[in-house]
Amino acid sequence: MAGIELLSDQGYRVDGRKPNELRKIQARMGVFSQADGSAYIEQGNTKALAVVYGPHEIRGSRSKSQHDRAIINCQYSMATFSTGERKRRPHGDRKSSEMTLHLKQTFEAAILTQLYPRSQIDIYVQILQADGGNYSACVNAATLAVVDAGIPLRDYVCACSAGFVEDTPLVDLSHLEESAGGTQLSLAVLPKAEHLALIEMDSRLHQDHLESMMDAATQACKDLYAVLDRVVRDHLQEVTTSIGE
Amino acid sequence: MLRRPQRASKLHQRVMNTNSLTQAPWHQTTVEPLEYHRKFLKENCRPDGRELGEFRTTTLNIGSITTADGSALVKLGNTTIICGIKGELAAPPADAPDKGYIVPNVDLPPLCSSRFRPGPPGEQAQAASQFIADVIENSEMLQREDLCIEKGKLSWVLYCDIICLDYDGNILDACIIALLASMKNVQLPEVHVNEQTGLAEVNMKKKRHLNIVKHPVAASFAVFDNSILIVDPTSDEENLSTGFITVVIDEEEKLCTVHKPGGTPLSNEKLQDCINRAITRNKEVCKLLNKVMKSMKAK
Repeated sequence: MAGIELLSDQGYRVDGRKPNELRKIQARMGVFSQADGSAYIEQGNTKALAVVYGPHEIRGSRSKSQHDRAIINCQYSMATFSTGERKRRPHGDRKSSEMTLHLKQTFEAAILTQLYPRSQIDIYVQILQADGGNYSACVNAATLAVVDAGIPLRDYVCACSAGFVEDTPLVDLSHLEESAGGTQLSLAVLPKAEHLALIEMDSRLHQDHLESMMDAATQACKDLYAVLDRVVRDHLQEVTTSIGE
Repeated sequence: MLRRPQRASKLHQRVMNTNSLTQAPWHQTTVEPLEYHRKFLKENCRPDGRELGEFRTTTLNIGSITTADGSALVKLGNTTIICGIKGELAAPPADAPDKGYIVPNVDLPPLCSSRFRPGPPGEQAQAASQFIADVIENSEMLQREDLCIEKGKLSWVLYCDIICLDYDGNILDACIIALLASMKNVQLPEVHVNEQTGLAEVNMKKKRHLNIVKHPVAASFAVFDNSILIVDPTSDEENLSTGFITVVIDEEEKLCTVHKPGGTPLSNEKLQDCINRAITRNKEVCKLLNKVMKSMKAK
């Protein structure tokens, strides 16, 4: 491949990770007071913020209301200073609209919407710094925010991206690896039952390779699940001790 | 992030009529919020334990966004504001060929409070953007001539994007601090215009800070019941107050902006009180700013 070598002969990636290694994750729940649920996550240099309002009455047109379940309203936006080149439109462009839709579909699959008929749940995500894996950072942050809001979920939703370089699947791609132009797969799973909530791949790949890539991505999602679960438990511990005082 | 434990002053407890600082009964806060606030103000304190002239705890984090040329995160109590500055190259304005541009923009997205709806920027966001632009212009915090690279040909445009992440009142004060801190953090690469080709050459290895000459700091006050002035109002206090005033002052005690959008009339003495408080606030903020900048250099 022309340009930079994404996978060295020793099997290390550009940033020194192994092919199946995630970037460092730091997350916090309950960061804001106004929202019903909020979370902040850092996956490597990607920084995302998710905020949840609801369930509340439907805002705007009542015709959207569903008699048997809650509707989910998402907005994905990227701060203008989050990318190398300044972004002209933080949201509303095609890429963000697509991302908004993906988020909505992912969480419709995970939230027990039938518990809240005729209501609405708002999920707003904001990318503060983008370094690849924006979709997965958003999903992971939104999961934590939904948990923080106390909205029942079927399971955590964990998302991770995967690429394919020199017959080796790479997980949790950085911006550099994404922009090299290889295959990229975004996967969101409910890890306990291994149900796929969303899968998206938009480039050519031989079908024989798909399985290995899926396996790598699923395993990465499970690793992520362990991290997110730790965050939730630590948060709970922190909250209960502060109440107990 | 930091959340200050509420202080249990004796006075506060007396108003709350409890021994420990528990959550106020919901019927007081939601059914009769005005009465609830008045009860505290009568005793010269506020529901969150502050005195009338006391700001909430201000925390500052500079340079947290590495994709921006300069950035800062400010927390004023629960109010959270992030500011990122990105520089771009453009031709200087025709009427001032030796100057650059500073373009501030305040965004109040629906994620910061349930009062904002998705869609184009609302009136409040636009008014805040204009206010920030006026402060930059009037305070002369930096010389716009500094942003010019080659007269009439090339200059810097500084896009200052300010996003509110959590809205709990008094965003203007927080915005100005965020703007000032990120301006201090901006590092722009050196640019030369090649005389032969006429193209700009950017030297990413050589970066320099902006020359910030003035440090404007805002102090906002809400007027309660037409007479009581409280400093740094929270979102609840903003909603219940009858007037609002913002004073922006620099470290040389020169007024940059006095902004009072309608509301109850204010006497001259009260205005003077506001200005005096703004002067001390400027010292507090500059001290904090220097402390954070110093701790960054130490790293």
